[in-house]
Formats: sequence, structure tokens, C-alpha cells
Amino acid sequence: MRKEATKFGFLLPGLLYLMAMAVFPLIWSLTLSLHRWKAATAAPRVFVGIENFLNIFFRDPRFWNSLRFTVLYVAIVVSVELSLGLLLAYILNERIRFRNFFRVLFLLPMAAPPIAVAFTWRMLLNPDAGIVVKILNSLGLNMVRWLTDARLTPFVLMVVDIWEWTPFMFLGLLAAMQSFPVSLYDAAQVDGASRLQIFWFITLPLLLPIMVTLVLLRAIDAFKLFELVFGITGGGPGTSTESLSYYTYTVGFQYFDLGYACALSWVFLVIVLIMANFLLKRLRKEV
Amino acid sequence: MKKGRITGFSVLAWVVLVLFSAWTVFPFFWGAITSFKSPGEQYTTAFLPLVQFRPSTYAWQVVLGQAEGERTRQGLRNSVLISSLSSLLVLLLGSFAGYALVRFRFYRWKNKNIASWILSNRMFPPIAVAIPFFLIMRTLRLLDTLLAIIMAHTVYNLPLAVWLMMDFFRELPEEVEEAALIDGCSSFQAFFRIALPLSLPGIVAVYILCFIFSWNEFLFVVTLSYRKTMTMPVIIAGTLTVRGLDFWKVSALSLLAITPPVVLAALASRFLIRGLTLGAIKE
Repeated sequence: MRKEATKFGFLLPGLLYLMAMAVFPLIWSLTLSLHRWKAATAAPRVFVGIENFLNIFFRDPRFWNSLRFTVLYVAIVVSVELSLGLLLAYILNERIRFRNFFRVLFLLPMAAPPIAVAFTWRMLLNPDAGIVVKILNSLGLNMVRWLTDARLTPFVLMVVDIWEWTPFMFLGLLAAMQSFPVSLYDAAQVDGASRLQIFWFITLPLLLPIMVTLVLLRAIDAFKLFELVFGITGGGPGTSTESLSYYTYTVGFQYFDLGYACALSWVFLVIVLIMANFLLKRLRKEV
Repeated sequence: MKKGRITGFSVLAWVVLVLFSAWTVFPFFWGAITSFKSPGEQYTTAFLPLVQFRPSTYAWQVVLGQAEGERTRQGLRNSVLISSLSSLLVLLLGSFAGYALVRFRFYRWKNKNIASWILSNRMFPPIAVAIPFFLIMRTLRLLDTLLAIIMAHTVYNLPLAVWLMMDFFRELPEEVEEAALIDGCSSFQAFFRIALPLSLPGIVAVYILCFIFSWNEFLFVVTLSYRKTMTMPVIIAGTLTVRGLDFWKVSALSLLAITPPVVLAALASRFLIRGLTLGAIKE
């Protein structure tokens, strides 16, 4: 009934677009990663094999530093966001009035441009005149060093991320909880199970699959951390808050060391795609 | 968990709700009032307009008036043009591909594999393609043009659109289209006259999502534009000077940049969670 040829007419425009604008650029980037090409100088592009990759892994402490920071960042923000989100979803899984109003309210941080979020927080956290510093000072906590002390700055970024993305976990888990049939809880309540027991033995196991999916989604997204670094710390002080994205951006668009930046972005890409692979398997199952 | 009874737990729920709302809203609130403070007052802790400080339109006169108005209006124009046009292109390509993957069978590479491959494009880090994009656009002499950014944002949003459109088409009853095919419609007619109009709510939702993501996107714009095609996020980033940050200015610009996506998100709040979780949560 349906002509076989027409199916390609539907699929191909999108597929070809992705080939031209995603696959081709990535392959080009891979070939560039095998070259030495410092575009800021007049030196020509030279094929160097895997030299860039050897340099990344064995002679680039700055890469390892950015990888360590990014992994630490992802681990901490994702676990805090998950715990807080779970707590909030558990407490608010009731017949809350004005539900739609609050849903919209909690979507605000995610819907706003990340760079606007970053600059707003930069203003709030400003060590000289920011409102947060003034409030903390009036409470007797002297914390002005947070944007100049390399041990504190990573945590400042994490706080902003937690502000921005806890609602993601919260709203996701809440939506999942509310799709559970009430009858599940009724039986347990009749049997005299406590609130905590119901949560631990019924709610949590049911939530586990969606929790894993949400954690993977958030971890992949947090791994690409760029705007907050760009807007709040610029990677500093020193390189203490340099994420993988930001380091690659610096090498590519400030040093114009294009071959090396492409090699970095491929290392980055492989790490993300390994995580993405787990996520894709889960998302497919639900289709 | 009974309705209408005041228990210790429901009091706790409201306390938590109010505290979390305050924490969430405070930065926006502070940004909004700072944009109405004069430069002399920008560093004060006054937070009640009219009571503690006299609202000033100084920031708005600078940002929208003679001094920088031209630049701001250009930024807003670029943001609107890029987001609306790239989302349109995404929707066109995305609904086509999504429809193909739901209504036809691809034997050699299974439908599921094609769909996952398409979605995997959503996940790679934008910086990985930013360098080749820059080189491609330089070669094509498209740097600092709207077209370059529209092309980049289209590839950024297309995978999600395909994935979500598949959900919407799957929910449509196939019988209607089949009846039309028997009556002599071509597949394309069945798509344009039946499937597309029937999935209109889904199409609007996907359009809004893509519009928000494109509006908020920063990395591609900052690497592909210099002067003429800067969008609002890049203009905000440009307020950072060696002298530091003018609170009033960055607040006013941020308010301009935040309002459109936030209003759209409020309109499509159900779909925003669906989009952000790549369809894993369907409210």
C-alpha cells in the first residue's frame, strides 16, 4: 500500500543533514587531531600521527587537572542533586495546592539561559559587593576568599549547579512517583507499615530504574560544563575550575592550537559516548 | 496521605516548599530589582523597591536607549530570528524523519538502531563539533552570519525533535492514514493532511522546546559570531570588562534574555520535563 521508496523520502533529509553537520565535522576533527596545526602562527599543518594523543595522556598535567575537576564536579553535583531531589519529591508527593504554579516556578532555573544564570550568580557572589557575601558577613562568617581561593572555587560552581539542576531531579522523580498506583500503598498501610518502611521497601525500588536514567542524563549533561565556568570563574583561579569543555575551548579558540584541541575533543567525545551508550540502552527499552 | 487533614507531615511539606521556592526564586528576584537600581545604589543590600530604594530606569535607558540600544535590539532580533528559524527547520526535518521511523520499516538497519543513532547525536559535547564548524564556516565564508548559527542550532536540536516526534506519531491511530491511502492519497499527502494536523499539540511543544534550547545556546554563537550576529547570551557575556561587572547592566540584559524562554517554558511546562529527560518521563 505504501510505496517502499517513499520511506527514504521521509527519512533521508534529516539523516543527510546529520551526516553533513555532525558526522562529517567529527571525522574532519579526527583527521585534524593527527596534525600539528597552530593556526596562530604561520607554521603549516603537519601530519604527526598520534603525537597529540601521546601528549595529552603523558605530558599534559592541565588535561588531567581538567578531567579530575570535571569528574569530581559531576560526582558531587549529581549525588547532591539526586539526594535533594529525592527528599523534596518524597516530602511533596502529596496533594499540594497550586501544583502547576510550583512546577513552573521550579522550571525557572532550567529554562533560563545558562550564561544569564552564571552572570547573575557572579553578581550575587561578587566578593566585594555581592549580596551573598554581605549576608554571610552579617552572620559573622567571613567567606570572601571563595573566588580567589583555589580550594573553594570548585565548590562555588557546584552550589550554582545544584541550584540550577536540583529541580530536574525533583520534578522527574515526582512525576514518576505520581504515576504509581495508590493501591500499592494502601495494602502496605493496612498491614501497618510505617512511612519510612513504605518508602524504603515500595517507593524506592519502583523509582530505581527512572533514577538511573535521570542520573545518566544529568551526568552526561554536567560533564559538558561550560557556561558556568565561562561566566563565573573563567577557569580560575589558576586552572582550579577548568572543565574539559572549557580547557578544550581555551586551546582551540584562544591558543588556536587546532590540532591539539581536536585531539582533546575526541578524548572528551569518547568518554561522553561511553556514558551515552548506557543511557541510550535504557531509553530504547522504553520505546 | 489523606486529603485536607493538617498533620505534622503536611506542615513540614509546606515549610520545605516555601524554603525551596525562596532559594529558587531569589537570584531572579535579585537580578530583577538590581536592574531598577541606579549605579550609585547597585551594590547596596536594599531589596524593597519604593520602600528602601527609589526605582531608577537608568539601566534601561542605557541598555535600550541611545548608548547601547542599537546593540541590544540587534541582539534581541538575532536571538528571535535564529531561534524561530532554526526551530522551524528542525521541525520540518524532524517530523519527516520521526514519521518515517514510526510508519515504515527499515530492514537493513533496524528502525530502533537508526533512532538511537540519531539520538546519540544529541549527547556529544558541543565543543567537539565547534572547532570543525568554525573551520567549515570560515571556508564557506559564513562566519558571523545568521545562517551559520541557524545551521549549528538545527543540528543541535534535530535529534531531540526526531525522538519526541516519534512519540507523538506513535500515539496517532494508524487506521485514519490507511483509509486515506486506500482512497488514493499518496504517503506525503497522508502525512501533510492527516498525521501532521493531528499531532499539532506535539508539534507546538517541540517547537517551543527547540526555541528555548536555541535561544539559550551559547558555545556555538560565541565561536561563530563576532559582531553582527551576536545573540542575547553573548551580549551578556560581553558586559564583563577589565573594570569588573556593572551589576545594573548585566541585570537588565539578563532580564531581557531570561524572560522569553521562561514564559515559553511556563506555557509548555509539561513538555519541558519530557524534553529535558529525552522523553524518559511522560507526564
